[in-house]
Amino acid sequence: MRLPLLALLVSGPAHGYELKQALENLLGAAYPQPNVGQIYVTLGRLEKTGLIEGEDVEQSDRPNKRIYRITAAGRETVDAWFEESTAEPRVRDEFFMKLALAPHTGTADQIALINKQRRHYLNTMRDLSKLAAAEDRDNRVAQLLIEGAMLHLQADLDWLERCQEELE
Amino acid sequence: MLIVLATAGITITLLLATALFAYATDPWQRVFTQSSGAHVWIHTRAGTAAGSLAGLDEVRATSGPFRTVRATAGLQPGGARATLELRGTAQRPTTAAPQIVAGRWLDADTDAGASPGIVLDSSVARAMWAKPGDSLVLSGIAAHLRVVGVADTAEAGFRAGESPGAAWVLPTTLAASDAGGDQRGRTIGLQLSDPADTDYVVQRAVTRLGADQITDVSTWRQAKAAAEGDNQLLGRLLGLFGLGALLAAALAVGGAISTRVRAHLRDISILKAIGFTPGQVVRMFLALHLGLALGGVALGALLAQALGTLVPGRIGDAMALWRQLPEHAWLPWAISGGVVAFIGSATCLAAWRAGRVPPVPVARAVTATGGRATGLTRRALGLRIPPALVLGWRGAFHRPLRSSAAVARLAVPLLLITIALGTWTTLDRFTSHPETVGLPAALTARSDTLGERELRPLLTSRPGVTAYPGAEVQALVPGQTGTITLRGLGTEAHPYPFAVVEGRAAHGPDEAIAGQGLLDLLDAHVGDWVRMTVAGHPHVLHIVGRTIETADAGRVVSTTLDTLRDDDTTGATSAGSPSPRPDFYHLVLPHGVDPGVVRDALTKASAGRLEVREIPNPAEQLTAVRAVAIGLIAVLVLIGLAELATTIGAGVRDRSRDLLALKAVGLTPRQITAVIVSATAFVTLAAALAGTALGLLAAEWLINLQGRTSGWGTGIAQCPAPAVLLLVIAVAVTIAAAASLLPAARAARRRLADSASAVL
Amino acid sequence: MNRDEPSGPIVRAAGLVKTHRPEGAAPVPAVRGVDLCIERGEFVAVTGPSGAGKSTLLHLLGGLDRPDSGALWLDGRRVDAYREARWAELRRNHIGIVFQFFNLVSNLSVADNVELPALLAGRSPRQARTDRAELLDELGLTGKENCTPGELSGGEQQRVALARALVNAPSLLLADEPAGSLDSKGTREVLRLLARFHGRGQTILLVTHDARMASAADRVISFYDGQVADDAHLGGSRNRPPAGVADVLKLQG
Repeated sequence: MRLPLLALLVSGPAHGYELKQALENLLGAAYPQPNVGQIYVTLGRLEKTGLIEGEDVEQSDRPNKRIYRITAAGRETVDAWFEESTAEPRVRDEFFMKLALAPHTGTADQIALINKQRRHYLNTMRDLSKLAAAEDRDNRVAQLLIEGAMLHLQADLDWLERCQEELE
Repeated sequence: MLIVLATAGITITLLLATALFAYATDPWQRVFTQSSGAHVWIHTRAGTAAGSLAGLDEVRATSGPFRTVRATAGLQPGGARATLELRGTAQRPTTAAPQIVAGRWLDADTDAGASPGIVLDSSVARAMWAKPGDSLVLSGIAAHLRVVGVADTAEAGFRAGESPGAAWVLPTTLAASDAGGDQRGRTIGLQLSDPADTDYVVQRAVTRLGADQITDVSTWRQAKAAAEGDNQLLGRLLGLFGLGALLAAALAVGGAISTRVRAHLRDISILKAIGFTPGQVVRMFLALHLGLALGGVALGALLAQALGTLVPGRIGDAMALWRQLPEHAWLPWAISGGVVAFIGSATCLAAWRAGRVPPVPVARAVTATGGRATGLTRRALGLRIPPALVLGWRGAFHRPLRSSAAVARLAVPLLLITIALGTWTTLDRFTSHPETVGLPAALTARSDTLGERELRPLLTSRPGVTAYPGAEVQALVPGQTGTITLRGLGTEAHPYPFAVVEGRAAHGPDEAIAGQGLLDLLDAHVGDWVRMTVAGHPHVLHIVGRTIETADAGRVVSTTLDTLRDDDTTGATSAGSPSPRPDFYHLVLPHGVDPGVVRDALTKASAGRLEVREIPNPAEQLTAVRAVAIGLIAVLVLIGLAELATTIGAGVRDRSRDLLALKAVGLTPRQITAVIVSATAFVTLAAALAGTALGLLAAEWLINLQGRTSGWGTGIAQCPAPAVLLLVIAVAVTIAAAASLLPAARAARRRLADSASAVL
Repeated sequence: MNRDEPSGPIVRAAGLVKTHRPEGAAPVPAVRGVDLCIERGEFVAVTGPSGAGKSTLLHLLGGLDRPDSGALWLDGRRVDAYREARWAELRRNHIGIVFQFFNLVSNLSVADNVELPALLAGRSPRQARTDRAELLDELGLTGKENCTPGELSGGEQQRVALARALVNAPSLLLADEPAGSLDSKGTREVLRLLARFHGRGQTILLVTHDARMASAADRVISFYDGQVADDAHLGGSRNRPPAGVADVLKLQG
């Protein structure tokens, strides 16, 4: 969450609560809401590393709000983040290990594993469809996120088919 | 492969048809070639060394020289007379060999002696109504001669009063004649290596023999011109046909080729995607199909030339004869070239279209928009009209441009068939209703010995026979060197049933009707006054009507006998002379009566003093042309079938796209078959209706045009009966439906897996 | 067939076998012994790799192809031995089929296409017109009655095809990759429409390789190599909370 918060601060100073709101609006109901505490912790870390600087603001009958502003180093970090290409493993997959190891145990059946996983994926897909229908049509970002998830699911299902073809 | 065979087939049929056509419509040429004719005939006095002409350089072969005797022949019984030139020859000459058409040639053993034999030239035999077995009395020969045969020659035929008819006898018979020196002579026929030298050779012959020795010279050109007159009309019609058939054939093959393009759209777009430029695609296409077409034409021409003579019947004879004709040099090339040219142009069009195919093999689920869809279909279905018919109708006429092209291509053969039928019907009219085409009388009777008082009751003795007195004179018209015929037939009280097609019949004095040929000659119209001179006396006649005149190329003016005689006698000084007797009588017989029977009866009744002859009906000479008409219809049917195959293929392919949808909707396979069949049937029906309707108009126009230009006059055209046309339409639609049945059934039952990929 | 009387499953298949024999190639076993049971009102999706035989199975159920062996009951009637003509009648009244391509008769207008099955089945023209108007309205196609299929987009054509398939209120709707040639917008539309009609009680069998479309069904049959590999009812256990994007993707940053 470090870099998203930094990026949000590029457009102008904000305090923690505002940043939380902004993050929620970004992805809408599609993605789980960010933890408030987590946000403040991250902000603290960012401040410690000098990428942002904070400033307390007096408030009459409430505890002080801290306004954060991005520093030059912060800006550089954000620019560097956008510059570099994101090259990380896309998929974290535990299922495939199960599938590969099933013959060794002798007790687990590969086809049954595949079928179970497929059912899981289909149910997830179903839920995602409902989510997409419920989400505001004009929130393009949210819709894209959901569609991205569904495409991944499609890819996973296709991979399952290939596994079934090869391993049978 | 199919294209090659189709092209070959079309070429063969066209070549055979041309051969047959040449055979049928130019009998003179046929006889000339078959008889190895002589180009120049020289008639000299007796004793001239005519044989020396054989030494001329240009002369390739000679016929004769024959000793000849001029004699007058009279048919026994009957009394028909003609002047003959008897030629004495032991065997049949090899050059200018008379072609026996009836009977046999002279036989040295049986035809000498007490009952000598004689072979007559067919023109004089026709004129005298002589046939093998008849008996002739010749002046100067005591014995009666027996006609043993009738032969065709390529010489100018017998013309009463002008040139004698040729006849052949054995030399002994000739020797038995006691004709005087001025009746005797020599005749020699010269066959030249180059027909163009004719005039030169004539000149040389005259110079060599001496002009005073020569009595007559005739050339092949004169003979040909004399023979040509009657055959022009329908000969030219059929020539037009041939062109029409060529066009139809080319259309058919062109249609087949363009359908092939459409069938291979996917391949073409793949070629383009690989990297062929449009120009290369076009060239490839042209090369392929022109090559196929050329192959087909060459194959067809070779087969026709090689095997044509083996075909039995007239076609074989025609092909054999055709080889020897002078046109043979270039005509097959012209026909083959014509076929290639037409096919080539059709291919060019298809190739150009192939070049424009987009390189992306578009799924043809997206079709071009067709005609504006109305609620007609739904209404029709709601009215419980079978869905197959409704869908078939939509399928047939959905794309107006494409369907009208298909209709047009199918209509052309039908149009030509209608014209052929029109020609046939016109010919029929000549034989069954000759009175409508200016030939009401079948017989003409004349007698030198009987007076009018005896003739009258004799002629009217037969039931139903009407006799019309008549006379004919040759008249001169201003500005023309040749003569026209002025004919008076019938009287004021008893008018002759002329076939007046324009204006009215002649009634009063000085009124007359003319044939088209005469009107053209004098540049006159109905209603004009024309002036002519008969034997020095001028006649002025008012042309009040036009008639169909088949004699003398239509250059005949007809009026009543009274008018003719009135004019004749106006200039006469003798008053009170008895009313002149007519020269002949035309006899109009009731329908169905055989003229031969009447002729024999009258001849018998008059004890041979009455000479009765048949008036020639031009249709009789044109019966050979009927066979050509049939042949042409056969060719057109073939072309029509090829066209039909193309249409069916295209229709099946179009409907296959909808196969899945139709099946899903719940049409049974039989209904789907019915959709395709009815679509084809509708297209054929439209084509048949259009073709026959246009064909009727075209036939009438064409036939009348030919009649007009040949001088007979317009009005001879007779359209086929509506029943016949309806039959033609019904047959066409039935054939179309039947032919499309099998492909449609096969398409309807096609497996779904195939249909999806086939149309993509 | 009276749909109000519950009388067993709409489709019951036992041991269906179909082998394709293309000319000049080895025979391809497409369906190798399939038992199937579809209840009234079910929305069944059949997924599987291409070439597994899903389309063949659909063709067998719709009578577009005849099984080599096995039995097939449609609404209690034994239909596997029906002749093509009888099948055609059945399709007219009780089965609606939507394909991936070539759903519409290319030379008829939209209205003609939709009314054709109704008129074929013997409805009066007025009745057919009402039904057609209703359906086209439902599918958002009013105003396109007189267009020919060539003038419509892919998505619109498929909607017309759906209307055509549903105009006779068939007991069974068979859809073979209905969104296979459409873009994502078209796919969504088709999905929405199928879900809507399913909500009204329409029995649907959908063959698809799109997991999103398959997941819209109640029941997903995985077809592999001519046989049923798995038959899963979706959304069964509701003891877990519904899945979200986070179950698939974890956004970094």
